[in-house]
Amino acid sequence: MSMQYKRRYGVYSAWNYGKEIEDLNRASDEGWQLVRGGCFSSKFVKNPDVRYRYQLDYGKIEDMGRYIETFREQGWEYVNSIFNGWHYFRKLYDPSRPAEEYEIFTDRESLQEMNRRWARLALVIAASVGVLALIWTVWMLWRPSLPVLIQLLMFASESAILLYGSRIMYSPDGKRSRRGDGVLLAAFLAVIILGCTASITLRMTRPATVTSQQTDSIEEPVVDSRWADFTVRYPDFYYLDLEMEAEEPMTFSVLSESGEVVYTETGTSFHRDGIRLRLPRGEYCFSISCTTGFRVACGLH
Amino acid sequence: MKKSEPLSESTFYILLCLARGDNHGYGIMQMTAKLTGGEVTIGSGTMYGATDNMMKKGWIRETVSGGAGMERRRLYHLTDAGREALRAETARLRRMLENAEEA
Repeated sequence: MSMQYKRRYGVYSAWNYGKEIEDLNRASDEGWQLVRGGCFSSKFVKNPDVRYRYQLDYGKIEDMGRYIETFREQGWEYVNSIFNGWHYFRKLYDPSRPAEEYEIFTDRESLQEMNRRWARLALVIAASVGVLALIWTVWMLWRPSLPVLIQLLMFASESAILLYGSRIMYSPDGKRSRRGDGVLLAAFLAVIILGCTASITLRMTRPATVTSQQTDSIEEPVVDSRWADFTVRYPDFYYLDLEMEAEEPMTFSVLSESGEVVYTETGTSFHRDGIRLRLPRGEYCFSISCTTGFRVACGLH
Repeated sequence: MKKSEPLSESTFYILLCLARGDNHGYGIMQMTAKLTGGEVTIGSGTMYGATDNMMKKGWIRETVSGGAGMERRRLYHLTDAGREALRAETARLRRMLENAEEA
């Protein structure tokens, strides 16, 4: 007889591992036995002849042999571990045995210790991501732009959700949360992935024009000489670094495709970085007008 | 002298069982259940965590059961530091009990 397998996709938040255990037990009662637990997908085999009770443990195990033996001694079969530190165990279920035989933590201290192992790590990550969120906030105040804003929101929400999770896992009652927020968590992960993709795409499609021109002397005046076409693919703040020098006042402008002046500066000596321009999408170019030798260097990003 | 933290019930009973001789996790669990009339049970996660902590503190260490023809098993052995921890905790519990009885 061939074995019948199925895969179940879904995520559980770490602070909801009690819900995952309940779901595994229910699946077992329905004849689906977990053979491999995972972060995003779990594998089950059909076997209606047995019933198991599952348990999850979290932590970095130094001595796997001793670990598995300690569980096996009390009838626990080691199923597998996942890379992020969760370990799956199961025990054949006999409803006539006392319920405590199907618990792996039999005192509050050890259950709390396990919960806090996770909470500590989550707190460290939340703090690191929180620092990134702070740096991005400063960046956003300094030179606001869409990709920076999206990254800031992602860092802030990641930090917030980890903080929320570690609060639950630190809670002194030591009880596992039993609410199901799998859909919410999946949505959150989707938003994170989407946000990552969006911010990378937005960053990569920004114009990155760096160009310069220099002439010691000119024979006749230059009027509206255009160069360096660039494309703005989405409306946002863009930043211009401009440096120009000439004996007589010269004019530097940024023009839109319809010839509209979006920025202009006239002078004999000028240097400023990070000039903020609010540009709608479209084609643009630089333009200069001058009567003497000049030097101009500019970049737009 | 640094005041020691009260031990968890599981930790206390593991030390107590090992004071009677080297034993493995399952033996400790059974002896504890017997000593306490089933009041205290030590699950596998609790057992692993407690023994891990105590090994780090140097209260117990691992040994292997020897003897020809015998099944080789991991055993835990109580060290002098572990014996001292058990003695200190027993003294603390005794003082608490005496105080309670005086009251």
